[in-house]
Amino acid sequence: MADSENGSSSQNSLVVKPINLECKNLYDYLKTRSRSTLEKLYNHPTICLAVYRELPELARQYVIRILFVEQPVPQAVVASWGAQAFSKEHIYVSKVLSELSVWQEAAIPGGLLGWILSVTFKRNLKLALLGGGKPWSMSSALEVDSKARDVSFLDAYSLERWECVLHYMVGSQQQEGISADAVRILLHAGLMKRDEDDGSPVITRQGFQFLLLDRQAQVWHFLLQYLDTVEQRGLNLVECLTFLFQLSFSTLGKDYSTEGMSPGLLIFLQHLREFGLVYQRKRKVGRFYPTRLALNITSMQNSEGPVLEEDTPKGNIVVETNYRVYAYTDSNLQVALIGLFTELLYRFPNLVVGVITRDSIRQALKGGITADQIIGYLKQHAHTQMLQGEVKQPLPPTVVDQIKLWEIERNRLAYSEGVLYSQFLSQADFNILKEYAETNGYLIWCNKEKRTLIINKSAHDDVKKFWKRYSKGS
Amino acid sequence: MNNLEIPAETTPEFTSTSETSLLVVIVDSNPSQKMLRDNPHVLTHCVDSVIAFANSHLMQKAQNKLAVMACHSKTSEFIYPGPNKPLDVRQIDGQYEVFTAVEKTIKHNLAKLLANEKSTLVTESLLAGAIAMALCYIARIQRTKPPGCRLNSRILVVTGSGDSASQYMNYMNVFFTAQKQGIVIDVCALDQHLSLLQQGCDITGGLYLKVPQLQGLLQYLLWVFLPEPPIRQKLVLPPPVKVDYRAACFCHRELIDIGYVCSVCLSIFCKFSPICTTCHTVFKIPGPLAVKSKKKKIKL
Repeated sequence: MADSENGSSSQNSLVVKPINLECKNLYDYLKTRSRSTLEKLYNHPTICLAVYRELPELARQYVIRILFVEQPVPQAVVASWGAQAFSKEHIYVSKVLSELSVWQEAAIPGGLLGWILSVTFKRNLKLALLGGGKPWSMSSALEVDSKARDVSFLDAYSLERWECVLHYMVGSQQQEGISADAVRILLHAGLMKRDEDDGSPVITRQGFQFLLLDRQAQVWHFLLQYLDTVEQRGLNLVECLTFLFQLSFSTLGKDYSTEGMSPGLLIFLQHLREFGLVYQRKRKVGRFYPTRLALNITSMQNSEGPVLEEDTPKGNIVVETNYRVYAYTDSNLQVALIGLFTELLYRFPNLVVGVITRDSIRQALKGGITADQIIGYLKQHAHTQMLQGEVKQPLPPTVVDQIKLWEIERNRLAYSEGVLYSQFLSQADFNILKEYAETNGYLIWCNKEKRTLIINKSAHDDVKKFWKRYSKGS
Repeated sequence: MNNLEIPAETTPEFTSTSETSLLVVIVDSNPSQKMLRDNPHVLTHCVDSVIAFANSHLMQKAQNKLAVMACHSKTSEFIYPGPNKPLDVRQIDGQYEVFTAVEKTIKHNLAKLLANEKSTLVTESLLAGAIAMALCYIARIQRTKPPGCRLNSRILVVTGSGDSASQYMNYMNVFFTAQKQGIVIDVCALDQHLSLLQQGCDITGGLYLKVPQLQGLLQYLLWVFLPEPPIRQKLVLPPPVKVDYRAACFCHRELIDIGYVCSVCLSIFCKFSPICTTCHTVFKIPGPLAVKSKKKKIKL
């Protein structure tokens, strides 16, 4: 008998999944920073506040409980705060807090290990909560703006700026209003790539996935990519990040001063202005208004339902149980996006009608969009009418399930690594080995006529040993 | 079909509560509270603690909402958000400007309320009325919220007043309304044990705590009352003690163990009365004949 090991290396390439858009949250981002960078970041109350809000619920309670405690708290005591049934969560939470170096291990007299909050983090979180210290950099006093802008103006402005970027990505004709810098970031982020023929940027698979994200996640992802390049531009990462979070904790419709900002930050501000995160009437005007895009940039997980704000933008897509999609929009961008996964039927001045079909969904899936992204997009833009009543799910469940089924349909093949056993000398040998493999659950496939069988790769050694023992005995 | 699960390779998702949570804090500012009469500075300490606690609530999540009420002897008022336009606050130090605004507004409105206090008559705080106002406020927010948005609301009462049964009916009404609306009532007693409010906590599923030391008020608030009801099950919090469920009689407003109950309207009396004061039903006087009389009922 000869066993031929093959297939194990070539299969890896089969298993490789298409690269999907990786969306990090603040935690994932900070986890990859070095401890000294973190320490530097925690010098700013804003960042502490943002990090605190991003912590898991239980971790937030732990931190606030020891915020006013000066000595290390024994680990056993901290563990006893959580209920027994949720000990797994406790372990996860402790890991998160250590990874972000929010707290550190410290020895307590008596040989026990305890937790103590990072000194900088504690001091600055207290500052943010209770006051004291220096004001944040952008809050110098200003006289009343003679040309004050209201919230609706800012919303319209930010929307227009941001759509400009998105439009550029889908290759709509309007090319003006987007700078070479923004294009460079899009290329760097892998959302667009240079066309092989003429070098003009074209959208990538990740780019399409990016388009389907909700606005906040888009902004956050884009900014993360921007921050990656920030040091090449000669700007200070810590400074920029601090400013970004200050912006995210500002009040909509209020003006802030640029006084005392470093030249680097002023450049950063101009970049943010270009993407519509801040509004500035003129470059030199010395004051700016943050827009909705800049607010709470990190809270992207909370996009499940609309928040309790009076004037958030409303959704405009209705999905019916008969798989029809009605979108009340006149934006070419949104029509193009809906066209990604529906078959468009009619188009009216303010309304597009499409139908979700198996083919249209498969087309989208082939393009690298996942079912979750499609559903997420529909959910996030659901018309207020769809949210009426105490329904948990704004979309018809049949449609949601069907889209997911259509996705599963494409994953009918399961890959498992194996070792091929063939060229048995007798049927009896084959039967013995097959039986052994079958009873132990190693068998993947076998063919009696050709006397071949495929064994789970991890069991190869075991089966080989068995075979040696068997052939010696006989 | 509805629960179709697609395996996801994400890290365990423990942050479950993404809903907005609304907290209404009711601060008893009645100057006739015993601890305030002993030492008026206690009020400053309490208000500072409550403000820090309220800001910690806002710090938890960006979408958390807050309202603070002052409960006085004759009136109850919202001190945050105030009746006027929000103050235009600029940062003065390292504090987050929203927190500064909360602090300024509360102190400003409370000072105004205390300055308007003229009478020196000692009356008890109208806590039941304040809770009723808080319930109305929550109901309004519930009604006007955008569709599809979920709201967790709770009320925290911080008071140093003594126990008094004179508002018994009002208390019971607000407790059962809150229970029906799914609103949790927490009570933090600063000075004396409050058996009636403790009943309310028990009815609505809230927590009751009598603070052993006023010095550490903020720490008690943060430990016990900051976690929202959904997360409380994950933490070890003071276990519920045996609740004193005595009712107050309708005639003298005293808490009683055993009393007379009107068979028609279920009003409770500590002494037998021939005519029910609530529904005017006439009972026979239990004379020596009334060996078999069943008019007398025993209420535990």
